[in-house]
Amino acid sequence: MKLPKFPNPFRGLPLRFDREGRRLWKDFGMSIAAFVCVVIALVPLGSILIEAAVRGLQAIGPSFFLLDTAYGGIGNAIQGTLILVAFASAISLPVGILTGIYLSEFGKNRFGDAIRFFVDVMTQIPSIVVGIFVYSLILLLSVSGIVSVRLVFSAVAGTIALATIMIPFVARTAEEALRLVSVSTREAALALGIPRHRMILRVVLPTGASGLVTGALLGVARVGGETAPLLMTAYGSGFGFSGLDQPVESLPHTIYTFALSPYTGQNQAAWGASLVLVLMMLMISVFSRLLLRSRYPLGGAGR
Amino acid sequence: MTLKVRTEHLSAWYGAKRGIEDISLDFEEHAVTAIIGPSGCGKSTLIRCMNRLHEVIPKARSEGKVLLDGEDIYALSAVSVRRRIGMVFQKANPFPTMSVYDNVSAGLRLNGVRDRKRLDETVLRSLKHAALWDEVRDSLDAPGVSLSGGQQQRLCIARALAVEPEVLLMDEPCSALDPIATAKIEDLIFDLKKEYTVVVVTHNMQQAARVADYTAFLYLGKLIEVNRTRELFERPAQDLTEKYITGRFG
Amino acid sequence: MPEKAERKALAEGLRALNENMVTLADLSELAIRKAVDGLTRLDPDVSDEVFTLDGEIYALQLEIEKNCVDLIALHAPVARDLRTITTSLKITTDFDRIGRYAKDIAEITLRFRGKEPDHLRNLGSIPEMTEIAIQLVDKAIRAFVARDAESVRHIQEDDDAVDLLEERAFEELVDKMTSRSLDVGVGARYILVTRYLERIADHAVNIGQRVVYMVTGDRVPRIRAVDRANRTR
Repeated sequence: MKLPKFPNPFRGLPLRFDREGRRLWKDFGMSIAAFVCVVIALVPLGSILIEAAVRGLQAIGPSFFLLDTAYGGIGNAIQGTLILVAFASAISLPVGILTGIYLSEFGKNRFGDAIRFFVDVMTQIPSIVVGIFVYSLILLLSVSGIVSVRLVFSAVAGTIALATIMIPFVARTAEEALRLVSVSTREAALALGIPRHRMILRVVLPTGASGLVTGALLGVARVGGETAPLLMTAYGSGFGFSGLDQPVESLPHTIYTFALSPYTGQNQAAWGASLVLVLMMLMISVFSRLLLRSRYPLGGAGR
Repeated sequence: MTLKVRTEHLSAWYGAKRGIEDISLDFEEHAVTAIIGPSGCGKSTLIRCMNRLHEVIPKARSEGKVLLDGEDIYALSAVSVRRRIGMVFQKANPFPTMSVYDNVSAGLRLNGVRDRKRLDETVLRSLKHAALWDEVRDSLDAPGVSLSGGQQQRLCIARALAVEPEVLLMDEPCSALDPIATAKIEDLIFDLKKEYTVVVVTHNMQQAARVADYTAFLYLGKLIEVNRTRELFERPAQDLTEKYITGRFG
Repeated sequence: MPEKAERKALAEGLRALNENMVTLADLSELAIRKAVDGLTRLDPDVSDEVFTLDGEIYALQLEIEKNCVDLIALHAPVARDLRTITTSLKITTDFDRIGRYAKDIAEITLRFRGKEPDHLRNLGSIPEMTEIAIQLVDKAIRAFVARDAESVRHIQEDDDAVDLLEERAFEELVDKMTSRSLDVGVGARYILVTRYLERIADHAVNIGQRVVYMVTGDRVPRIRAVDRANRTR
């Protein structure tokens, strides 16, 4: 992979101070200032990665991945995160994408605007509020006897919470991805006498597919790191997955509990878990980028 | 003279803004009719009413009739109208995720045709009709968008021809192309009129003069004059037409 | 905007063309006037002037042809511009011809070698013919300059007078020659002059009719005087 060439700000520096010279010096000064700002922005990101790597690597070993949290490993946390994210995706991806399709293909009216507005609002809801919402919802349902009270702290609850966060996000990114499909592609399909529903299904969707996939992966990355909503729903457990109606552990939750624990062993495990979580998220981003590039070697979706 | 398509007192609006006003125009079968006029005069609006693409735009509406072989196109389904009246756009727009083969066969495939043999024949015939076969015969699986601009436009023409329309509407088909590609497409139009009825919207008057049998001049949404091309360009009846074609306004 | 610039170049070209056409027309008219003046006074010096004019006319005509071809090649003119250019292209021939006939008349003047006792009497209706012919040329030129189609729409009828005069002159001269009051060698020259004048008038008619096309796009049909007379009956 070719690294971008580092621009040489020192090139072309004049040895004069007339108007032309002053302009060049100003240009040079701004380049330096911009560069410094980049460094400042990257420092926290870099230091997080470095810290996590340095401190976390010590904790990592085969047993780290195989043992449950009750025994100092994170095996069940990884499993829990995967299960929660998988089920949440199973619900939110279809719902979100279909909403996105509705908004982009049929939503150019007042009703569509209203939906779009509410979806936007939902993407901004603090995740802990979502947690409380799901918690109280299930509680109320159980009080009126519709569901068992066990579900209050369960994988089901966690899934619902994560799905609630994911759906509006996926809906919006799906709409954007489909919006990128140019009007002229749609018109070309219609002009061939292709009925509208088929135009959407077999022309617009495939054209916007990479954008949809990217949106889905980003949604996954987003909820994979959520802690707050899981506190009051999935709750956490020391052991592996034991049923949808049981509490389930998750990586963010593990990091939280291990970091606050008085045991240094667990503190270190927290760093290990952090490293694992960061790497997982990083892999999803890289993967979605590679997917984009393989479909469109010239770069860009829906052109 | 057989009239393939006729418009009767056709007007169209985008919301409150009127695009064309009371246009009654005849299009002769197996002839090329050019529609010329300055930007914004309603040329594109007119042809988009003819294949019912105008109604797809939100808040668009139209009044008056468009008759295809004497039948009101609004009495037919939009889908069937568009199969009989095809369109090629200003900027070539092959489907980005499809190969050359898939692009040309899209009109058939996406309407349920699966028979490979029939698709193969159609693709061959259409690409030949569009004078593109020789250039792509060995790369039918290449992405549609990998062709040059002129080739892409001919691909779009092949795609439109594949559904065997009776009328072909072309909205400034050469405006994004270099002179050589333009010449190829103009030659193509000349050949196409043997089997199809062609309507070409163009802002290039010399192009209208070169390819069209009839030319209609539109200005500010109204039909100013329509006549055989050679008459219109030699002795236009309307002063406004004369001014436009000699370049004395704008 | 390139479109505008192209039209400016065309407008400039058309203006220059028009100027040249007017010059050509003036030269042609001057040529006949001088030629006939020279013939009337049997003045050989005037003939030389006419020869020079004819040369200029020919050169100018070539240049105008070139102008027209350039304008067509470069600007793809249409409608009025196109008709103006193609008309100009055609009537330069007519003006050139007029110049040539003027030259021919000047040549005849030279042949007389300045002696001819009954010359003025023998000229007969030639002066009258000349006047009408020159008027026709003048009328056609004015119509061209003013782009006035109506004044020349019926110019063919004006030519009838010239044709009649030519017939009359022919008969008179043949009479004189057969009755030996006029030498055949000399008489033949007069007949040629009437011929040239009649042709000049015809060319003026051509020009006039082409002006009608240039301005309106209409093509005036060519009808023989006889048939025209029959029609109006």
